[in-house]
Amino acid sequence: MSLLRVYCTTVFVKKGLFLESTYTACQRTAGYASGGVAKDKAPLKKAKTPQGRFDTDEIESKSKDVSERFLDDVNPETKEKGGPRGPEPTRYGDWERKGRCIDF
Amino acid sequence: MAAVCAASRLLGRKIVSSKALPAVCQASNRKLHFSIYGKKGDAKVSDGISTQYPVVDHEFDAVVVGAGGAGLRAAFGLSEAGFNTACVTKLFPTRSHTVAAQGGINAALGNMEEDDWRWHFYDTVKGSDWLGDQDAIHYMTEQAPAAVVELENFGMPFSRTEEGRIYQRAFGGQSLKFGKGGQAHRCCCVADRTGHSLLHTLYGRSLRYDTSYFVEYFALDLLMEDGECKGVIALCMEDGSIHRFRAKNTVIATGGYGRTYFSCTSAHTSTGDGNAMVTRAGLPCQDLEFVQFHPTGIYGAGCLITEGCRGEGGILINSEGERFMERYAPNAKDLASRDVVSRSMTIEIREGRGVGPDKDHVYLQLHHLPPQQLAARLPGISETAMIFAGVDVTKEPIPVLPTVHYNMGGIPTNYKGQVITHENGEDMVVPGLYACGEAGCASVHGANRLGANSLLDLVVFGRACALTIADTNTPGEKLSPLKPNAGEASVANLDKIRFANGSTRTSEIRLNMQKTMQNHAAVFRTGDVLKEGCEKMDSVYKSLDDIKTFDRGIVWNTDLVETLELQNLMLNAVQTIVAAEARKESRGAHAREDFKDRVDEYDYSKPLQGQEKKPFEQHWRKHTMSYVDPKTGKVTLEYRPVIDNSLNAEECAAIPPAIRSY
Repeated sequence: MSLLRVYCTTVFVKKGLFLESTYTACQRTAGYASGGVAKDKAPLKKAKTPQGRFDTDEIESKSKDVSERFLDDVNPETKEKGGPRGPEPTRYGDWERKGRCIDF
Repeated sequence: MAAVCAASRLLGRKIVSSKALPAVCQASNRKLHFSIYGKKGDAKVSDGISTQYPVVDHEFDAVVVGAGGAGLRAAFGLSEAGFNTACVTKLFPTRSHTVAAQGGINAALGNMEEDDWRWHFYDTVKGSDWLGDQDAIHYMTEQAPAAVVELENFGMPFSRTEEGRIYQRAFGGQSLKFGKGGQAHRCCCVADRTGHSLLHTLYGRSLRYDTSYFVEYFALDLLMEDGECKGVIALCMEDGSIHRFRAKNTVIATGGYGRTYFSCTSAHTSTGDGNAMVTRAGLPCQDLEFVQFHPTGIYGAGCLITEGCRGEGGILINSEGERFMERYAPNAKDLASRDVVSRSMTIEIREGRGVGPDKDHVYLQLHHLPPQQLAARLPGISETAMIFAGVDVTKEPIPVLPTVHYNMGGIPTNYKGQVITHENGEDMVVPGLYACGEAGCASVHGANRLGANSLLDLVVFGRACALTIADTNTPGEKLSPLKPNAGEASVANLDKIRFANGSTRTSEIRLNMQKTMQNHAAVFRTGDVLKEGCEKMDSVYKSLDDIKTFDRGIVWNTDLVETLELQNLMLNAVQTIVAAEARKESRGAHAREDFKDRVDEYDYSKPLQGQEKKPFEQHWRKHTMSYVDPKTGKVTLEYRPVIDNSLNAEECAAIPPAIRSY
């Protein structure tokens, strides 16, 4: 019986470090789960800065997104899957995207 | 009891020994195939150069300078072949300028129609205005399908056709049947961002192998001894230590030098470091006068506005509100070809009808077009104009001027990627030195680069360098001895700049250089303008002696790094303008008003019979090799003939020169 205890303690001494770290990790997650400490802290997301000239409302810009995805990412005219969004980039002879020329 | 205690002590010790422990500690014992922090091997510290700047010496089988598309491909190609490779880069690999290449890659895969790489070969030779070396072009176009398939196998998500093959579109002057079969569809792409995807795919792939990455190390110079390259010396920007990387093979893949001009599409880090390192080593750079321009780049930002704007009715106006293209191209007007438009814009600016406080650009007007039409045909242009030019495109015009996009010239190499010099009429290989990507000039782009060919150039020649090194070397070879004070001059230069106390700042000298190059060595080139530019550049070069820096520290000294970059830019700029002044013809991207025609050994616009071949000194179908004396800034020029035969005449016939017309 004593031998067993001795055996156990020596094993625990080495395993102790490992267990200690898992124990503290459990403690940390347990804190969130119980919702005790976390709720009192400030929200993690930063508050928005004042509206500037280039700032648009997030919802607005999403719906006006110039290059919207095709259905299933397949271009209806050329049947290209995984291709560039919006109109065909090479339609003017250079590679155009959003009015910018990327390659020519 | 004593026996029990003794037994437990014995038992205890056995349990404590590491081998018997459970899985917790196993990771520290297991041999990993990569090294933590990317550095491995023994680095020795020595004060062989100076006691003020202790040097850390590393030994590798190969060093790659630059981690863009070409650098990464070379680095992991070498690691794959078993070489102990170091990749020295001043930027994190995924931040290299390759990430901005959103166009596609050309390859004759034949997915959309029947295709042959020999037709791609013909298109590239013609596009280069017969200044490209046909053996290198043969190599690149023949390897193109294999290179694209290899990239796809690495995980690059190309766009697909319905059947699941790679989708190819028409782009970049590609034709079928040697120009007689109509438009070819050869350009493969990945949604909107091919370069970004290429870089991330290559970086991810390179992490499989044990390449040692030295990120944010600024390469100062090559370590040359007896005409052989024995490595690189670099400054670690993070802690200011100097590192010497000794290796039997050095690959330079540092990119282009767009930042010599006031308006360019390149990142602020495109400073031609590789070209300058090679120049300081006494080796030549090739064809630096060939710089590719685009007429409508946004003033200040450098982004290009698509030709579609003019196609949809946009017009270019000068300070008097006049549509000046009507004078230069009465029929085509604003839809004239790019070089005509660029030259017209430059002439207007030179004659004083530019706009803005410095009168150095013109306006592109789109507000006379109905806004709905603009939004329907060119979606996103209002966003672009607002973000980059700060104008509302439905009310104000966009400020534009001709902008540098690509440098066709660079470090001369053969088709295998080995750096060459030209002595006694023959190409001699510089042992231990290789170059690839935009920094190298193999030369596949010749006098003009075709669209979507440069990403192909990166992967094919990056791989070629790795293959050539693997063929001629074995991993783990003993390095030849190097002088203990090798790299002394670079460190002396570093120290001099760090404590420079002249009167002009780095930013002022840089702006002077950029404005001079933009005014004198841009699109509009004539004898007097270029000569004036050469003299001005000479004085700007001399003003480098009077430079003033402010930061005296050594840790993350950006003032020091920017000044080193300015020195590199200056070497590139003087070579560009002097070579442009010397080349008295118009070929590809180098167009001169006073010499409007191509000067070849025969006049190819007439039948060859009865024509006498001009001697080498009297025609211009040759590569420029430029050398600079770094102390004085004096440029000397030599010339080297173009390689007109392909690698294998039976497989692919060489294309004899002809007049280039589209």
